[in-house]
Amino acid sequence: MPQSRLHKSFVNLLFTKLTLGLMAVSAVAAAPVDYLHDVKPVFSEHCSTCHGASQQKGGLRLDTAVFALKGGERGPAFTPGKSAGSLIIQGMRGAHDSIPRMPYKKLPMSETQIRLIARWIDEGAAAPTDEQSEKNVHWAFVAPSRPPVPKLAGRKSKSVNPIDTFILTRLAKEKIKSSPEADRVTLIRRLSLDLTGLPPSIAEVDAFMSDSSPDAYEKVVERLLASPHYGERWGRHWLDVARYADSNGYSIDAPRSIWKYRDWVIKALNRDMPFDLFTIWQIAGDLIDTNSLAPRTSRLDPLIATGFNRYTQINQEGGIDPAQFRVEAVMDRVNTTATTWLGVTLACAQCHDHKFDPFTQKDYYQFYTFFNNTIPDGHGKDAPEGVLEIPGENEAAETAQKELEEAETNLDRYLSTKVSEVAQWEQSLTASDIANLKPAARNALKVPPADRSIKQRRIVYAAFRPDEPDFKERATRLTKLENNRARPVTTLIMVEHKEPRSTHVFTKGDFTRPAAKVIPGVPPILNPVNDSRSSRREEAHSSNEDEPTTNSASRLPNRLDLARWLVATNNPLTARVIVNRIWQQYFGRGLVETENDFGTQGSPPSHPELLDWLACELMEPRAFNVERSTFNVKRSSSWSLKHLHRLIVSSATYRQSSKARSDLDLIDPNNKLLARQNRLRLDAEIVRDVCLTASGLMTDKIGGPSVFPPQPDGVMTLGQSRREWKPSTGPDRYRRGMYTFFWRATPHPSLTVFDSADGFSTCTRRIRSNTPLQALTLLNDEAYHEFAQALAVRILKEGPKPDPSRIDYAFRLCLSRSPSKDEKQRLLKLLNKELAASDQPAAWASVSRVLLNLDETITRE
Amino acid sequence: MNPFTEPSILRHLTRRHFFSRCALGLGSVALGSLLNGRRAFGAGSAHLANPMAPKQPMFAPRAKNIIYLFMAGGPSQLELFDYKPKLVELNGQPIPQSYIEGKRFAFMGSSHGTKLLGTRREFKRHGRSGMWVSDLFPHTAGIVDDATFVTTCAANLFNHAPAKLFMNTGSGQFGRPSMGSWVTYGLGSECDNLPGFVVLQSGPRGPRGGAVNWGSGFLPSAYQGVPLRGSGDPILNISSPKGITAQRQRDCLDAVRDLNLKRLVETGDQEISTRISAYEMAYRMQSSAPELIDLSGESEATLKLYGVDKDKPSFARNCLLARRLVERGVRFVQLYHTNWDSHGGPGENLQGDFEKVCRDVDQGQAALVHDLKSRGLLDDTLVIWGGEFGRTPMGENRDTTGRNHHIDAFTMWFAGGGVRPGAIIGQTDELGFNAAEDRCHVHDIHATILHLLGIDHEKLIFRFQSRDFRLTDVHGELIRKMLV
Repeated sequence: MPQSRLHKSFVNLLFTKLTLGLMAVSAVAAAPVDYLHDVKPVFSEHCSTCHGASQQKGGLRLDTAVFALKGGERGPAFTPGKSAGSLIIQGMRGAHDSIPRMPYKKLPMSETQIRLIARWIDEGAAAPTDEQSEKNVHWAFVAPSRPPVPKLAGRKSKSVNPIDTFILTRLAKEKIKSSPEADRVTLIRRLSLDLTGLPPSIAEVDAFMSDSSPDAYEKVVERLLASPHYGERWGRHWLDVARYADSNGYSIDAPRSIWKYRDWVIKALNRDMPFDLFTIWQIAGDLIDTNSLAPRTSRLDPLIATGFNRYTQINQEGGIDPAQFRVEAVMDRVNTTATTWLGVTLACAQCHDHKFDPFTQKDYYQFYTFFNNTIPDGHGKDAPEGVLEIPGENEAAETAQKELEEAETNLDRYLSTKVSEVAQWEQSLTASDIANLKPAARNALKVPPADRSIKQRRIVYAAFRPDEPDFKERATRLTKLENNRARPVTTLIMVEHKEPRSTHVFTKGDFTRPAAKVIPGVPPILNPVNDSRSSRREEAHSSNEDEPTTNSASRLPNRLDLARWLVATNNPLTARVIVNRIWQQYFGRGLVETENDFGTQGSPPSHPELLDWLACELMEPRAFNVERSTFNVKRSSSWSLKHLHRLIVSSATYRQSSKARSDLDLIDPNNKLLARQNRLRLDAEIVRDVCLTASGLMTDKIGGPSVFPPQPDGVMTLGQSRREWKPSTGPDRYRRGMYTFFWRATPHPSLTVFDSADGFSTCTRRIRSNTPLQALTLLNDEAYHEFAQALAVRILKEGPKPDPSRIDYAFRLCLSRSPSKDEKQRLLKLLNKELAASDQPAAWASVSRVLLNLDETITRE
Repeated sequence: MNPFTEPSILRHLTRRHFFSRCALGLGSVALGSLLNGRRAFGAGSAHLANPMAPKQPMFAPRAKNIIYLFMAGGPSQLELFDYKPKLVELNGQPIPQSYIEGKRFAFMGSSHGTKLLGTRREFKRHGRSGMWVSDLFPHTAGIVDDATFVTTCAANLFNHAPAKLFMNTGSGQFGRPSMGSWVTYGLGSECDNLPGFVVLQSGPRGPRGGAVNWGSGFLPSAYQGVPLRGSGDPILNISSPKGITAQRQRDCLDAVRDLNLKRLVETGDQEISTRISAYEMAYRMQSSAPELIDLSGESEATLKLYGVDKDKPSFARNCLLARRLVERGVRFVQLYHTNWDSHGGPGENLQGDFEKVCRDVDQGQAALVHDLKSRGLLDDTLVIWGGEFGRTPMGENRDTTGRNHHIDAFTMWFAGGGVRPGAIIGQTDELGFNAAEDRCHVHDIHATILHLLGIDHEKLIFRFQSRDFRLTDVHGELIRKMLV
C-alpha cells in the first residue's frame, strides 16, 4: 500500500506529544520566541485556510505578522506586549463570548502552541519587517544556492566531511555530543545492507577487520558501490516510486510483462547514469533523438525507460467506461511525477485550487496536458498499445529453457517405457485405420520406430492413446513450454497518440464535466518550462549541442520539455527531493520529514543548509579537498548518485553507533538532530535476502523475468480471478525478494507482511510495522523453514567443530558479529536440549530457526 | 545475567507501565493527540508493544464490536425487502424517461433492456415493525424487530470492484484503508490472542477486488484484515512447521525472547520490546486459532439454530465463527458471501440461482442475531448486512431476465449495537428507483457506524502524502433516525 508513514502508536504519540511539550517549555525559557520559526508555522497550520491569502473570514488574515496586528472587523487581534485579553488568544482558548473557539469546528490547538503565541505577543510580537504576504515565496520554491560549509571550532575543516560540519554545528547549538563510531562489524554490515541489500560474508568481515590501512573503510565503500547488487538495492527503492508490479491491478489483475524496465533501472544505477538523464529517459525516452545517443547505447533503452509511466493500473472489467480509467491513469501519472520529482501534493489541485500551496486547478490540468496525449492503456475491452517487443529475446530463453529440456526428457523417458505397446498397436493397424489418422501421424508412422524423433514418437503416441492421463499431462506441459519459447519478451512503453487530445479543466475533478481548455504548462511559482532547453542531457555525448531550436517560439512544450524542466538546475525541488529521499534511506527519516510534501504544509527541514548543500553538490559536484588519507572522493560528474552515496556513507554522522542514549530521551526523542544512527528494520525483500544468504541458498542472478518462490496454499484464491502460482524450482526458487512476481491483488504474503510497497500508487517511504504475523512468517512459513534447514546443513558441513565453534560460525552467518559468551551459552543450551531428543540436522535446524528469527537479523544496526 | 534486573529494562517496564496507565486514564486526551498529532507522526523511537492494544473511544460507545455480513455482488432489494406493487403493475412497460435521463449505468449500451420488471416474489409484512420481507428470507423475517432497515442506501460507483472498495473504504480508489482497518486503528482490539480484524469468506468465488477490500491502505499493515481460511491453516502460517512439536516451538521462542532481551538491553531500542510482544502474541495465536474453529464445544441446539454442518465450510458456519470471534473480543469481523450478481446470465438468474444464494445466508444470518441476543452480546455488537449496491427496477435481458447494478436506492439492515430495533428508514419512489425521502449515502452510513463505536468520523484521521484522510473523505452526516 502506498505508505509513507512510519508505524506509530497511540502511546508513542502521547509520549511524543508530552516530550515535545516539555521540549518547547524548556526551549522557551532559553530564547525569545522566533516568529518565522515558531509562530508562522502555527498560523499556517491552524489558521491559514480561513484567515489567509485566499480567504479572510471576519476580515482577518494571519499570513503575515503585519496583517495579524492589523486585525479584522472586530479590531486588532492583539496589542504587542499584552496577550491577556487579546481577541486572538481568547479565540484560540474559546474564552470569548461571541467568537467561537478557534480553529472553528476543528480540534483545538495545543496549550503549548497557544502559550507560544501568547509569549510571542508578550515579547513584543517581533517579526521581520520584510515579510511579504503572497510574494513571500516558500523556501522550497526558490532554487537552492550552495551555502558555505560552517567552520568547526578546533578542527581542520578540510579533513571533515561537509555533512558532519553541518550536523555537528547544529548539535553544538543544543550542546549535544555526537555518538562514537560504531564498531567495525556493525559498520561493514550496515554498509553492505545499505549499499547492496545483502549482509557481508564472513570472509569480507574478516578482511575488513584485519585491514589496518587508513582507508580500509573507503575501500569497502568502493567495493560495494561497484557491486552489481548496488543497482538491485537502490533500484528497488526506485521501483517503489515507480509503483512496480507484474500485474494490471483493479479487480481482474491480469499479468503484465514489464520487467525489462526493472532490469533497466538496475543497469542504469549500476552504471551510475546521471540522475538528470535517468529522469529524461523515463519521462520522455520515446521523444529523444536517438541519433544523438552516446555510442554503444542501446536504442531500446530510452524506450524501455518510459515504462515508468506504464505502471498505472489497467481496468479490464467488462462494464466500465474506458475513458474514465484513461483519465485515472493520466491523473496517476501527474500525481506520481509531482510526488517523485517535485515532492509536492499537486494532486490536491485536481478538484479545486490547492488549499495551501500556490497551485491552482488550472496549473494541475496544464501539467496533465503533458501526459494526456498517450495511447490506450488497455482499459475495458481496448487492447493495450505501446507494447515493445525486444528483438532476439524470448521469454523461455531466460527461464524455461531448462524446464523445456526437462519436460522433453521426461516425455522421452515415458515414451521409451511404451515402445513395445506402441509396436503392437502399429502392427494391428489396418490400411484404413492409417488413412483415418491425421496427416502428421501418418507421416510419422512412415519413419522406422528406431529412427523417429521425439516429436514423431509423441505424435504417434498421441494417435495411439490420446487421452491417457500420464501421457497427456507430460505432453500438455511440453506444449505449453514450447509455446512460451515462441513468445518474444515484451515491455510497455510510452508513445504519443497520433491525434493530440485537447485538455480541459475538469470541474471538481470529474471527467464528465470538462470546462476551460488549457495548454501545456508548469505551475508558475516554479522555474519556467522553456528554460530547460539549454540542458540537453540526453545528447551529452553528441556534437550537435547547438542544434538550431526549430520553431521553438511557436511550439508548445511537450513531455520532453517537461523532463528537461524537471532536472533543470534552476528547478527548486527535484535535487532537494531526491537528495532527501536518499538521506531518508540511510537514517530512516529525511532531512525534510514529509518526504512527499515540500510545500507549506510539509515539515520544515531539520538541517536546511545541509539539504541545499547536498542538492547543489548533486547537481554540480565540487570534489572538495579531502586529504587522501581521510577518504578519497573521486571527481564525479554532475547528478552522480554514487557520488552522493559515497558522501553520505563516508560521513562520521552515518558511521555513528545506533545505540539509544538516555541523555537524548527528552531533548531529541526522535533523533532528528542525528546525535546517533538509527536502528532500522530491513525492507521486506531484504529480510528474505538476508535469510537466503545466511542459509547459503541464494541464487546470485541479476534481472530476468519475475519468479515464483513458494508461498502458502490458498493465497491466490483471495483475488477475484484465481491466478496460478506454480512455485519455481531450481535456482529461481532462491532469488532475491525483489524478483518475486508481484500480483497487485494477491501479493506474496511474506512481502506484504513486512510492508512492501503495494504497487497501486507511488510509495516514497515504507511503513515499518512490527506485528505477530511477521513472527508467524519467520517462524512457520515453509520458505523460512527451508532456509533454517539449509542453514543447519551448512553449519554442519562448513562450520568448525566442536559445537561452540559451530554456534559461533552460525551466529556470524546471520549477524556478522560473534556471539557474546551469554548468547553462545543460551544457544548451546537449546542445542543440547534438542540433541537429547533429535538428530544433529534437526537440532541445528532449531538453532538456525532461532537465529533467523532474531530482531537483530532483520535489522540494520 | 538476568536481564530483568538490568536497570534499563526496569526503566523500560516502568515507563511502559506509566504510559499504559496514562493511555487509560487520559483516554480521550490521548485520542485527541493521536488525531491531532501530525507533528508526532513518523516518530519511531517509542512504540506501544501491541498496535492492537485496546484504546478508548472518543465518547461513550454503543457498540464495541462489528460483524459485517457483506453480500458480494449486490443483492436485489426488490426481491427481498423493497416491495413495489406499482412496479409489478407496470411490469414490461418502458421506464419513464424522467427516471433515467442523465444517468450513467454499468454495461452502457449492452444487452440490458429498460423495461420495468416487477418482482415475482411473495411479500408479507412481519413483526411489530411491519417490515416487508419476501418469501425468500423466512428466517430473516423473524428478526425484523431487532433490526433497523434502511431502504434508501445510495452509493457512487456501479462496477463491482470499485463499488466494493467504496463500500469498504469510502473511495473507489485502490490503496485506501478499509473500515475494519480504520476501526482497529482507532480502537485496537480486546482480544490478545487473535487478530483484531478477521475476514471470512463463503460462496462460489472470492469477492471482486479480493484482498484490497480488507486492506489497510496507507495505515500500518498491522490493521489489515486477516482472512480466516475455510480449509488448511485457519490463519496463514499458524501451524508450526512439520516436525516441530509445541514444546520445541516454545523452546525456540524462549531462546528468541532471551536473545532479543539481551539485545534490547544492549541497544535500548524499544522496537525490540515490540518484537518480543509480537512473538508472544504469535505463539498465543497458534493455540487460540485452532481452538476458535473447533466447534465441538457448541451445543446441538446452537448448531441446529445456525444450520451448521460442523465440518463443511458455509456461510452459516462463518456466522457461528463470527459470534465466537466477538465473544473473544475481536473488534471487527467481516463475512463475504458470493454471488449476488443477478444479471440473468447462467448461474446468475433471478430464479433458482437467486433462491439458492438466499438459502445460503437466510438461516445463518438470522441465527446470528438470535444467538447474539440470547447471549447478551447483541447490545454491544453491531451486525451490518448489505452489498456494494442493489439492482435496477428495470429488467436486464440475458439468458433470462435479471437486473442490472443500481446505486440510487438499495437496502441494508443493521442490528444491535445501539441501532433502533424495529425501525424502517427511508422511502423509495413507487418504482423503487430513487429515494423519495431519507436518502442515506454510504458516507452517512460510515459516519453512523463510527458514531456507534464512539468515534467522531471527522476526527478519525490519518495524514498521508500530506493530506488528512478519513473513512468518510470530506462527507458524511449522522443518520440520527438509526440511533436508539
